[in-house]
Amino acid sequence: MIKKLSLNLRLFFEGALLSYIALFHWLRPAQYLATKVWGPLVYMLFFVFLGKFATGQDNTSFYVIGNAIQSVALSGIYGVSMSIDGDRWDGTLPYLFGAPANRMTVFVGRSFMHIIDGVLGAVIGLTWGVLLLGLDLSHSDPFALGLTILITTFSTSGLGLLLGCLGLITRNVMFVNNTVFFLLLVFSGANVEIQTLPAWAQVISQALPLTRGIAAARQIIAGESLSHVLPLLAVEFSIGVGYVFLGYTLFRWFELIAKKRGTLEAI
Amino acid sequence: MSLRTIRLYARAMFLAFEMTLRQNFTDMFVLFGIFVQPLIIALLAFWMLQERGSDYIIFVVVGSGMTGLWTTVLFSSGSNITRERWTGTLELLVGAPVPIQVVIFGKNLADVLQSLGSMLLSYTLAILIFGQIPEIIQPELFAVSLMIAVISYVCFGLIVSPVFVMNPNVQRLQNGLEFPIYILSGFLFPIALLPNWTTPLSYILAPYWAARALHATSSGGADFKEIALTWGMMILFSLVYLIASGKLFKTLLYKARVEASLLRQ
Repeated sequence: MIKKLSLNLRLFFEGALLSYIALFHWLRPAQYLATKVWGPLVYMLFFVFLGKFATGQDNTSFYVIGNAIQSVALSGIYGVSMSIDGDRWDGTLPYLFGAPANRMTVFVGRSFMHIIDGVLGAVIGLTWGVLLLGLDLSHSDPFALGLTILITTFSTSGLGLLLGCLGLITRNVMFVNNTVFFLLLVFSGANVEIQTLPAWAQVISQALPLTRGIAAARQIIAGESLSHVLPLLAVEFSIGVGYVFLGYTLFRWFELIAKKRGTLEAI
Repeated sequence: MSLRTIRLYARAMFLAFEMTLRQNFTDMFVLFGIFVQPLIIALLAFWMLQERGSDYIIFVVVGSGMTGLWTTVLFSSGSNITRERWTGTLELLVGAPVPIQVVIFGKNLADVLQSLGSMLLSYTLAILIFGQIPEIIQPELFAVSLMIAVISYVCFGLIVSPVFVMNPNVQRLQNGLEFPIYILSGFLFPIALLPNWTTPLSYILAPYWAARALHATSSGGADFKEIALTWGMMILFSLVYLIASGKLFKTLLYKARVEASLLRQ
């Protein structure tokens, strides 16, 4: 039992590290910085200025916090799904499916490094906010904010795992990733107050990761305590768990389909 | 240049245009940039700007459409030479008697014209959301502005494409170049909101003058003199881009021949 557990733990961490290295081996430092540091800054600036124009007042912190937390989706959606999808493109999927390794360990391990990377992304986003856009973090509890970012990144990675599974049966997973990332900008509350959205859009918002994480981050930065936002974080975490299990179920199902159709290596 | 040569170039340009159009319709990445992303940005902007009233509907339609135009120039037109290299057809293009610049112009024209579909989609979305048909205040002037804007974007693409090939490091930063132009060109908000030091940067971008012309003619509020200025600037920049791209293509081909790197991946 202990041997099995230690084997799974080794598989989890080695798989996490190797898939992260494999994903980013083609990236040069400049490219990584452009994606993780420059990219979130420019789209944050775009929405801050659009928001200022829209409301005619200085709501900078609303947009800075929303977009800084939203930046976890860069790792959570793109990074995680590409880690899953990458096995197909690199031709390693048949080996993966042929191995006796625990599927759940392999599957969830893919998201581990991206959760750390996503947390870093949100911290970079907030740092830009403080340095360039006057975001005031003096009232916030750093532990509560850190926990919020961690849980939000986890839940977004759950969605990323689900999307990555689509890569096992379609060649257009980047189209899906891009669409979901941009839809999150609309429905997560990063740029529009959820209560001002039409009723049908609010229903979508409630089913997505990020929505409660962004709301919790705004409250913590405004000075609320961890206990005040705990219910939001609990639901955010549950949504993440839900997406991970849905993704895992699809992962096993698509494994079966891909084996049946002989499309494991079809790209 | 003789009439026969012009006809020959026009034919090559049209064929490149047709092929690119066909290819683009099978490329989900291109279709995302042309149709899906501008549509989502339009939806977001409609909801963000809803407090500003119905006057802003046409502003958002035009602005979000322009984001589609730039995204297409950046990602699709920007990779037009690189894509030929990947498919192993760059050598043939360079060896053909028609200048490669003519072929790339046809390809860029297809990209840009196709991306006008994003404006049409945003227009349709506005009708669906608000239940009213957004009005273009000066339709004739808008049409002329759109025509000149298309040409200026195509010429801008002629600069982007060889720059990316000669400097792979710049192309690697492609993703980071998308939103800065949205910001500096004032597609969805006036550049007056930006710090003063950014204004000269906006002035040297054809997309800025295109946005100014299209917003002025669609939303109204500008006299003909101001619109004529934007047309003049777009034409001026198109000429500058054309001349500069001529030199860039010459350098690119010279370097490729010297280094034997036409087929380098």
